[in-house]
Amino acid sequence: MRAHTRRPVLAGIATAVMASLALVGCSTGSASTDDAVNTALTVGLLATPSNLDYTTTAGAAIPQALLYNVYEGLVKLDNDGTIHPLLAQSWTVSGDGLVYDFVLQEGVTFSDGSPFTADSVKFSLERVKANWTANGPAYLDSIASIEAVSDTQARITLSKPSNSWLFNMTGPVGTMFTESGVANLATDAIGTGPYTVASFQTGDSLVLAANTEYWGEAPYLTDVRLRYFTDTTAQTNALLSGDINLISGISQFQLVDQFKSNADFQVLEGTSTGEVTLSMNNASEAFSDVRVRQAVMYAIDRSAVMDTVSSGYGLLIGSMVAPTDPWYDASLADLYPYDPDKATELLDAAGVRDLSVAFKIPNLPYAVAGAQVVKDQLAQVGITANVTTLEFPALWLDEVFAQHDYDMSLIMHSEPRDVTAFAARSYYAGYDSPEVMAQFAQADAADPATYIDLMKQATTTMAEEAAADWLYLQPAISIGEADLLGVPKNTPSLALDLSNISR
Amino acid sequence: MVLVVLRRVGVFAATVIVASIVTFLMLSILPGNAARIALGVHATEADVAAQATAMGLDRPAIVRYLAWFGHVLVGDFGTSTVSRQPIGPDIADALGITVILVLTSVVLALVFAIPFGILTAVRQRKPDGAILSGISQIGVAVPGFLAGMLLVTVFAVTLRWLPAGGWVDPAEDFGGFLEHLILPAIALGSVQGAVLSRYVRASVLEVMRDDFIRTARAKGLGAGRALFRHGLRNAAVPVMTVLGLQIATLLVGAVVIERVFSIPGLGSLLLDKVALRDLPAVQGIVLVLVVFVLLLNFLVDLAFTVIDPRLRSAA
Repeated sequence: MRAHTRRPVLAGIATAVMASLALVGCSTGSASTDDAVNTALTVGLLATPSNLDYTTTAGAAIPQALLYNVYEGLVKLDNDGTIHPLLAQSWTVSGDGLVYDFVLQEGVTFSDGSPFTADSVKFSLERVKANWTANGPAYLDSIASIEAVSDTQARITLSKPSNSWLFNMTGPVGTMFTESGVANLATDAIGTGPYTVASFQTGDSLVLAANTEYWGEAPYLTDVRLRYFTDTTAQTNALLSGDINLISGISQFQLVDQFKSNADFQVLEGTSTGEVTLSMNNASEAFSDVRVRQAVMYAIDRSAVMDTVSSGYGLLIGSMVAPTDPWYDASLADLYPYDPDKATELLDAAGVRDLSVAFKIPNLPYAVAGAQVVKDQLAQVGITANVTTLEFPALWLDEVFAQHDYDMSLIMHSEPRDVTAFAARSYYAGYDSPEVMAQFAQADAADPATYIDLMKQATTTMAEEAAADWLYLQPAISIGEADLLGVPKNTPSLALDLSNISR
Repeated sequence: MVLVVLRRVGVFAATVIVASIVTFLMLSILPGNAARIALGVHATEADVAAQATAMGLDRPAIVRYLAWFGHVLVGDFGTSTVSRQPIGPDIADALGITVILVLTSVVLALVFAIPFGILTAVRQRKPDGAILSGISQIGVAVPGFLAGMLLVTVFAVTLRWLPAGGWVDPAEDFGGFLEHLILPAIALGSVQGAVLSRYVRASVLEVMRDDFIRTARAKGLGAGRALFRHGLRNAAVPVMTVLGLQIATLLVGAVVIERVFSIPGLGSLLLDKVALRDLPAVQGIVLVLVVFVLLLNFLVDLAFTVIDPRLRSAA
């Protein structure tokens, strides 16, 4: 049944076109009468999955649709960013932090009918190292062995203690597969989740149907259509016209106020893990001197950038840490206040005059808009930013990300806890600090309290050394019809968790 | 006549081959690495190299071209490097949608242009004729995407009569299909209708000055009857030429309209595949578009010979 309602077409318009309109009016009129219990939902999204296989295809679009909805792991990240049991009922950790004993949920089946057991755990996690090429197989590098103790007991032994690996298990790499269900991952998604994929047309829509055999609590929504838009105006028009019921992660922030004043809709403002980053190539001649990077920090008025790009929505963070991470330090947002004079002093101290940098940005709306503000502000302190817009992903990924052929860029880093990857010497930012890398390694192996302390220290050092200018945290704003309940507010993970939404 | 058709078929085939080579060459110099896009930010250089080999990107261009075109000739468009599915069915689905959209807008354009064009020609020197003529001039000036956005704002967002975009398969829900077709078809057809009505007007005016109309009128027919009985068939020839050219323009226009209305047609598919550097898919889509346009021109040519007997020998 259609979820939207439309006024019937007025009669009396006598062209051939309008005659067919009248037919249409009849069909919608009859459909909208029986939505007493409406368990259908259409969600408008932007990036479309190119297939259903996130084990070999990069990008956030596939996990967004399938993780937690179709696929599940042993653990799950809730909307506040804390780890909860999912396919594991509980677990114990050995004193040395190396051995994890998981007790698994019983009576769980995959959507092809095969049972979920400890063998599935072993199969799935061993497959990450052997077969995965995308979405971070290295996240599970610390696993030394996986043992199926019994059908419902799985023991995972790590080669070194790791605080981050269980968190990583909440993401795509932690997905549980069945041996009989991995032959055609690109088209057949077979998981244990509350939904199954009913149909998928790339670039258009992905339809999820409630999994009638689901082991847990049945979701309220039985039919969910994820509709993909390439045009953000088309997306908001679709919401206004009733074609879709919810936009998760709106990008036309200038329209948010309009929706706020409309009683038919609710606006949910949450936090994401997307740091909109002005990256500086630390290995380039222009930015190898920390004083020059710090000069950029003082030269940029981050509030002004945020006002221009996202109509003031978002959060000034000052480091590569999201508020849903335990080591978030709100005070870092004030580390480099807007101070062009100080920027000029630092440039003078570094002996830099008439600096000219290659500012290579992706052709994404926020980057194009943000780069203009950044360019103007840098000009005030005598830095000339030569903006080149590169097609994303094809050219940006190749030129900036792979070849490091740039001085400055502007891109959002959307993955949760990606700061450790960002700090690596080989990463495109070229940040070179053995101390920080050592701290991250120590943190991962430490006890939980020390873990948070060390993470805070390392991320603070990166902010102090201006490894990049983390301009602001991308706002996570969802706009839905007023009667929707349980719409996830934050996006602490890549998944769009549909299981709690109702009307 | 048979020889003429055979020669045309020969030219048609040669054009297709040249087009396939040009398409292939242009895409092979397109910067950006499909393997890198598929693997994303976690991949190492070694991963990317291995993926490139798996995708067959490391083979020489001529080998890749021949392998591709050879398969296309037997109807196999190959496998997408991104979705890892056969490309043929995707192209067929998208082409079906675009063809429905384009043909509907052609019909709408004709339904509007023919009566409107004749009317403005017949009423040429009257005030109402001038006003109508002015209206069609405005139609020419408004681009299709703008018309689309205006239509959406009025009929979808404000009145909520029709959906703002998307597509429904006619076999699934015919009412829903029409509902989703109307606005994009009007948006796409409006400019063409306005342009076409100008040609109809000019063509009718031209014909009305012809000797045979004067003869018909001298034999006692009224202006209207003379035009309808003898004139329109003659007036149709130049209009057909323009229409043939316009359908090619409409295919291009459909790329934009499909974006505005989020329709999964050939234009949307092409843009998506270019962004992902899914070269086998892009090559297939471009080739299908080229063949489609050539085929249309071919059919328009043939149609002339039916409408105008004088062209049968001249061709």
